[in-house]
Amino acid sequence: MMRAIATDDLRKTYPVVERPWWKPGKPLRAAPAVDGLSLRIPAGQVTGLLGLNGAGKTTTIRMLATLLRPTSGRATVDDLDLVKDAREVRRRINMIAGGERMVYTRLTGRENLWYFGQLYDVPKAQLKARIAELLALVGLEHAADQRVERYSKGMRQRLSIARGLINRPAYLLLDEPTLGLDAPIARDLRAVVADLARDGVGVLLTSHYLAEVEQLCADIYVIAAGRLVAQGTPAELTTMAERQHTVEVSLAAAVDDVDHAVETLAMRTGAQITTGVDDDLRPRYTLRHSADLAGELATTIVTAGGAIARLEVTPPTLEDAIIALADAARQPSAVAS
Amino acid sequence: MRHALRVIGAEAFKQHRRMFGGPLVVFSMLIWPALQLAITYYTMLPLLETPGIGERWPVAAQPVRLLAFLATGAFAYMFYFSLVQSAWHFSFERISGTMELLFLSPASRFALVLANGTGALVQNTWLAGCFAVAAATASGSLHVAHPGMYAVAALALVIPALAWGTFLNSLLLFSRDSAFLYTLLDDPLWFVAGVRLPLFAMPVVIKAIGLAFPLTSSLAVLRGALLDAEPLSGVAGPLGLLGVLCLLLVAGTATLLRIGEARAQRTGSMQLY
Repeated sequence: MMRAIATDDLRKTYPVVERPWWKPGKPLRAAPAVDGLSLRIPAGQVTGLLGLNGAGKTTTIRMLATLLRPTSGRATVDDLDLVKDAREVRRRINMIAGGERMVYTRLTGRENLWYFGQLYDVPKAQLKARIAELLALVGLEHAADQRVERYSKGMRQRLSIARGLINRPAYLLLDEPTLGLDAPIARDLRAVVADLARDGVGVLLTSHYLAEVEQLCADIYVIAAGRLVAQGTPAELTTMAERQHTVEVSLAAAVDDVDHAVETLAMRTGAQITTGVDDDLRPRYTLRHSADLAGELATTIVTAGGAIARLEVTPPTLEDAIIALADAARQPSAVAS
Repeated sequence: MRHALRVIGAEAFKQHRRMFGGPLVVFSMLIWPALQLAITYYTMLPLLETPGIGERWPVAAQPVRLLAFLATGAFAYMFYFSLVQSAWHFSFERISGTMELLFLSPASRFALVLANGTGALVQNTWLAGCFAVAAATASGSLHVAHPGMYAVAALALVIPALAWGTFLNSLLLFSRDSAFLYTLLDDPLWFVAGVRLPLFAMPVVIKAIGLAFPLTSSLAVLRGALLDAEPLSGVAGPLGLLGVLCLLLVAGTATLLRIGEARAQRTGSMQLY
């Protein structure tokens, strides 16, 4: 048996009816939200699913959670078919979405977990201990018997995480789990997710916080317009997009020979050059190139008689890469199939 | 089955905590039906002086019997209307974002809607039920052919009410517009079901519509068994109709749940409001 969530050529098209229901006829327009996606989310690892707004991340997660039915293609969870074996799949998965809406506010934290434990048929003998364990995991023991309406946003989200773990899911689908949370709480949640993966849980994570994705994900899928545009580790994706290093240098004082030498360097390497002054009105040169030209630029300036007051190198980031890949996917000819 | 029972218990508990937060709610559970009964009784009182009314409707000739007639109507109506409210409240799960969590779980969908109705029924009616039994016993207005008829009356009220509630819950689970339930099932329900007026006084069309509502037959059994000392054979007609209606409601619920969930999975409408 393959211990993973796997999708093969998964597609989802929402029927969009743009006329009143009493006027018969087929939907006028169909909007493809996911278009032939093949993914593999193995157990014991955090896998990222990235893309700009409207890329199809949430639709994908909701299909894997059995809340949406694929229009075509196939998805399995540990070889169980997502559609045919939906009930058994639901026992093995859980989903946590960002925001604090996914709990009952007039129940206490403990009661919420008890309620969902009943829905998931967690054995009675284990439920009490499981609830205590989860409350401790998310740091809510002290507020366990308070109504959730008195919880802060962060506490609600932590309770939501605990709810998502009540059935000891083999796979956890996280849709923007740290959305709107303060940095320390988000950091704690990331630690929980990392621990879960170490304990063998397969996690699929979507997030707009790319530092979070870089920190947690061993493998990342980038999608745009519902289609896969890239896959790899964070480092692989960063280089894949061929984004530019930015080198910015300020001189202690203007030197004519430096101007000429830097322009010659830019021309020779094909770097994009911008000249100007910095906040302290010192001459400034900015070079953009796929390679890191910091060393070469520094040597050129010093050789030409200049004195460097400040040098800053900005390497390409995963965020740059995602934007670049998504932009490339918008061009029809560049979209990966 | 064991899992379904756990779901029912959990759902009833959740509903209790969500909707019965304070003592005023419990107070209103008694005061509301009592007020309804008082309003109806004092509205009808002047009519009792109409010459010859006792010949057309013997109940009207005796104020205690009239009160018992109206009280059974108010009591049974409360059973059914509490389920309308429960379904309406259930639809709010869509707003609060918790509805999809229910469908994310492996819990039986039928158990979920049945649980919601059961929870609402027990919680909304226990107090008025105790009060009604005490009042009926004290006033001596109960006339029963056989002690077993108490059970017949209770079952004829509870089981169809649950089937009704389950159906309404499944209906609203996939509808964003729940206000229509109040419009359709508040005043029309008591009007067509003979809650405050005897059905023979209604036009044929209203009687026919009334038969489609299980409340009508529940009331016929309740009044026949508890007030008119009818034996089982005397209420066999409405009991049979109740059986048919229950089967239709359960079948309708199962169908609606299947169609509704499939539709939500196709359109993604479960998270929309």
